[in-house]
Amino acid sequence: MKRGLPGTLVLVLSLVVLAALVLLPMWLVGSSSFKLPREIISRFPTFFPHSFTLQHYQKLLGTSAFPTYFLNSTIVAASSAFVTVLLATLAGYAFFRLEFRGRDFLYRLIMVAYAFPSIVILIPIYLMFAKVGLIDTDLALVIVNVTFALPFSIWMMRTFFASLPRELEEAAAIDGASRLATALYILVPLLRPGIAAIAIFAFVSSWTEYLFASVLIISDAKRTLPVGLSGIIGQYQIDWGLLLAGASLSILPVVVFFAFVGRWFVAGLTEGAVK
Amino acid sequence: MASHNPSSEKSGDGRLAILLLALPLGLLAATLVLPMISAVNISLHDIRVIGSEGAFSGFDNYARVLTAGTFWHALGVSAVWVVGNAIVQTVLAVLAALVLNEKFPGVRVARVWIILTWIIPTVVVVIIWRWMLSPSGGMINPFLISIGLIDRPVGFFSSGPMALASLILINSWRWFPFVAIMLLAGLQRIPADLYEAAAVDGAGPIARFRAITWPLLQPTLLVLTVMGTLLSFNVFDIIWLLTAGGPAGASETLPVLIYETAFKAYRMGDAAAMSVVASLMMIGLAILLIDRLAPKEAAK
Repeated sequence: MKRGLPGTLVLVLSLVVLAALVLLPMWLVGSSSFKLPREIISRFPTFFPHSFTLQHYQKLLGTSAFPTYFLNSTIVAASSAFVTVLLATLAGYAFFRLEFRGRDFLYRLIMVAYAFPSIVILIPIYLMFAKVGLIDTDLALVIVNVTFALPFSIWMMRTFFASLPRELEEAAAIDGASRLATALYILVPLLRPGIAAIAIFAFVSSWTEYLFASVLIISDAKRTLPVGLSGIIGQYQIDWGLLLAGASLSILPVVVFFAFVGRWFVAGLTEGAVK
Repeated sequence: MASHNPSSEKSGDGRLAILLLALPLGLLAATLVLPMISAVNISLHDIRVIGSEGAFSGFDNYARVLTAGTFWHALGVSAVWVVGNAIVQTVLAVLAALVLNEKFPGVRVARVWIILTWIIPTVVVVIIWRWMLSPSGGMINPFLISIGLIDRPVGFFSSGPMALASLILINSWRWFPFVAIMLLAGLQRIPADLYEAAAVDGAGPIARFRAITWPLLQPTLLVLTVMGTLLSFNVFDIIWLLTAGGPAGASETLPVLIYETAFKAYRMGDAAAMSVVASLMMIGLAILLIDRLAPKEAAK
């Protein structure tokens, strides 16, 4: 459909507003992390730094526990993503390729899991984990993160399974390939976009998770980024340069990850937008 | 419910399904179902010291919690929080989705990167907005003064209603792109020839939106509203890190109250009782949603 001049103007204006809303805060955080403290709190923020310093990063990486938090978060988020992908793929195959009694019921039951307020399982999980000695371990966080990422990941898998023609598997079966071989050599490679989508979803949710990490982790050396960084907020007299440097480095991994596979994640959300 | 009869079950599928689902379902049973049951059990006990069993106290915890004002106050704050988020997010998301549904250079990139606010850690969201809204050194106050909206710096978290409103806006900033992407999927399912036919009949953009887009978007909006309600009810970290429920409990939603009761006051039994009541309400909502959607799915 053709757009007139007023239509184009409205579109351009809305795009500018949208971009400012989403990108401007990120840009200001990133660029200000290189500014001298005086410039950071100037009344009218400079778009490009006039001053340039690495002092905030030196302080963050040299004297705070940030590197430890960052490493812990990377280990926890990567492990959570790996386990979630594995379990969601298994469940996806069962739900979207197999016929069995109770399938619809089980699928819906898993989706209801999303209605559970996470706060309700916080107390029992804490007490259960305390009993079996999981408090203050990475494993505790991985278990919790996988639990929360799994239902949504299975839901997202639906799109990707639906995009694969069953004829492929049927043809492989006629050619005498076993079910396992078909799954491993035909299905899994074609499911890569779905696997990427789930991996980033699970990685991002673990990278962000605060509530359980604040309760299940006790020692400072085991702390993940969200809890660690929030501790830095209170620990010092508010040092914006330090916090902005910390914020920038915390955004970096998810943005890099997203740059590679973000489009598959969005495709998983939009259901059926997969080519 | 299960529309297929047992004869449609392929031989061997059942056994393979059990094998494949054993791990995922086993995990969810251990980490969701078991804790749910355990939460009910805890709520019936008087637990004060962590690790101790506590004496069975029947519905004492429920009675105490439900007769105290704090629970109902928090429920009210939660209701304002959920409704406020639903309204702000829906408005922003519908506008953003309409823009992203247009064709323009770079639209594919925009559709992916709009979700940036959602993938960054909440603690970073907290740092960003604490900095920008800060009365000393933040840029929002000088900006609002320079365009003449206010005449002196405002404390965005200093009064109750202001704090709650600021939190709702910040949380909506984080979530609206996510909702917009989901809405975009709904928009793209609307056949383009409907718009063309309407344009031929002389309908302008606003008339087309009211006659075609809005009604056809309703099913998607319904799902998102209920899903959003459940998700935003759960939000804890943004509120905790920005206001910790304050000032004077003005932003104390149920999750914040439950967290404080359990891990600051160490009254596990009371906190569990509150969380069980909250869950029942949320699950009721979810069942309502699934019932309303199931027939439509089957009809397809």
